[in-house]
Amino acid sequence: MSETLTLARKELLDLRRDRIVWIVLGTLGIAVVLSVIVASLDYRAQLADYEAYVAQVTASGSGVTPAAPQLFPLTLLRGGMEYVEVLGALFALTIGYGAIAKERSRGTVDLLLTRTRSGTSIVMGKLAGLAVLWAAIMAAIVVIALASVATVGGAAIGLHEVARIALAGIAGWVYVLFWSAVAVAVTTLTRNSTGALLTLLVAWLLVVLVIPQIGDTMDPDNQVPGGLFKALAIAKADEHAVLDHFTAYESARNGLEVSSISKLYERFTFATLGIKDTYNGQSLAFVWDGTFRYIYGALAFTAAALTLAAASGRRIHTLRRAS
Amino acid sequence: MSTVLTAARHELLASVRAKAPYALVAAFLGMVAASTFIGWRTSVTVTSIYDQVLADGLTTQPNPFTDVSPLYYVRNTVIYVLLIGSLMAATLGVQSALRDRRAETAALIGTRPVDGRALRAGRLLGLGLLLAALVGITQIITWISVSALVGGALTTSETLAIAGFGVLTWLLLIGFAGIGVLSGRLLRRERTALLAPVVVWAAIAFVVPQLGTAARPVSLLNPVPLPAQDSGAFSWLSQLLSPLAITEHFKTASAALLGSSYTGSPLTSAIVVALFACVAVAIAILIRSDRTTGGTHE
Repeated sequence: MSETLTLARKELLDLRRDRIVWIVLGTLGIAVVLSVIVASLDYRAQLADYEAYVAQVTASGSGVTPAAPQLFPLTLLRGGMEYVEVLGALFALTIGYGAIAKERSRGTVDLLLTRTRSGTSIVMGKLAGLAVLWAAIMAAIVVIALASVATVGGAAIGLHEVARIALAGIAGWVYVLFWSAVAVAVTTLTRNSTGALLTLLVAWLLVVLVIPQIGDTMDPDNQVPGGLFKALAIAKADEHAVLDHFTAYESARNGLEVSSISKLYERFTFATLGIKDTYNGQSLAFVWDGTFRYIYGALAFTAAALTLAAASGRRIHTLRRAS
Repeated sequence: MSTVLTAARHELLASVRAKAPYALVAAFLGMVAASTFIGWRTSVTVTSIYDQVLADGLTTQPNPFTDVSPLYYVRNTVIYVLLIGSLMAATLGVQSALRDRRAETAALIGTRPVDGRALRAGRLLGLGLLLAALVGITQIITWISVSALVGGALTTSETLAIAGFGVLTWLLLIGFAGIGVLSGRLLRRERTALLAPVVVWAAIAFVVPQLGTAARPVSLLNPVPLPAQDSGAFSWLSQLLSPLAITEHFKTASAALLGSSYTGSPLTSAIVVALFACVAVAIAILIRSDRTTGGTHE
């Protein structure tokens, strides 16, 4: 255990000196702030359009005015959460890959093995260091998100908002830890560093972008701009009744989506922050009822990745430089 | 001229022999092949849903998919070109730039009386030929699969539209290959050399369009290009950033070629994509770097 902790401490020291880590934090932080700015500007533009419309309606003498657009502060974080989903996963892969590939490149695995009894200790030490690093980065993202919603979005932040953003941060930590563990496992098991990096890039593309995109593309409601059912002027209750005839198709589409940890993370985060309308203004107990299977799914994926990474330590010889 | 051709021949040979990017190439070809089927299956389901809606007496609106062009099934390919094709091209570019450094032959080449620009132009020509071959394969796959789904050979105009889409795809890919070559030559570590073009791609595909349309990042993976916002700060932001929204321009020009709905001017969009390719390739050829010697370390 102390070997693992020593290696984790050493890894953290390495990571603190690594410029990529600071670039990652800067990029994710800027992306979150930028998204909040864009969402705030969009809301203000909608409000201005609404006020202009109300003025027109009032001038025409009509007493009927539509409901004003409402601002739910945490929904401003939608873009920021998607950036964590896409870029966070990519950065987690890159940092996880680098933690292992540098030992191969420097030829220091033999030296490390003189200080510890097993390859598993080396791998788990590195993962422990990465877990601490990601906890710090996600904590920083949570603070940046809170600050930008309060300042740029001009929203009041209470305990309710802090708790929800903190939960989203924890979900983000589990998510990026999954990707770092996958990167550590694949890099350890692959003798060729370039091959490992490209394999990881393909995995990122497929899991984060392609699979969720196929699910979205196959959604019947996404086939027409503005939504198919809206275009056909069909009420929500009737829409559900119609889709009941296509349960096999919908189950296959949903099954494809939930096979991606990115979608599980997205669904949980969007529910917690009230970005998905169904969960807006609802209690955390209600959110839990609707999303617990996504949480269990994401935890199962991460546990499997950590187990694979630990097992990959038994084949640490692949990291030794070929003589 | 002989330097250019020799370098192009060598690049083609070395790229085909390098096994590492095969996973990306396989993913690209596989998803392009699958996308037509996905588009067809979705259209069939939506038509069934419409028939159900009509049978239940819930609408009097016409079926939005009546008389849809056979090329409608190809619209998802646009997204796979943006997602996988761009990254595949950038990766091939990075690998091309790193190859000599990894083999430590860059210094040896430097001892020969070789014009650096001709060498770089030759390598990009080789990469361009490789990408043209891959794009050609995808277009043949697309033509055969759409013909099979509609139960007959596509017309000449539909075939020309697919060929035009192929040319546009090649322009986008060679542009990203140029960015990859530049990154491989300028950055010391393989990890950062591969990461940099991906970050540039993410900025072009997500950040720039988001600033002009206020769309959420992942919704930008929808094949239909989003209209620019014309209110508030977005009106001038979208105009200012429009030349950088390469992927949105690619979507607009592709949608026009494939007969899908689009916003903006397809001709302007096609010109922007072509300019992107020219600028990226020119920069990759003209910029010199001292990092072309020495290994790649993590």
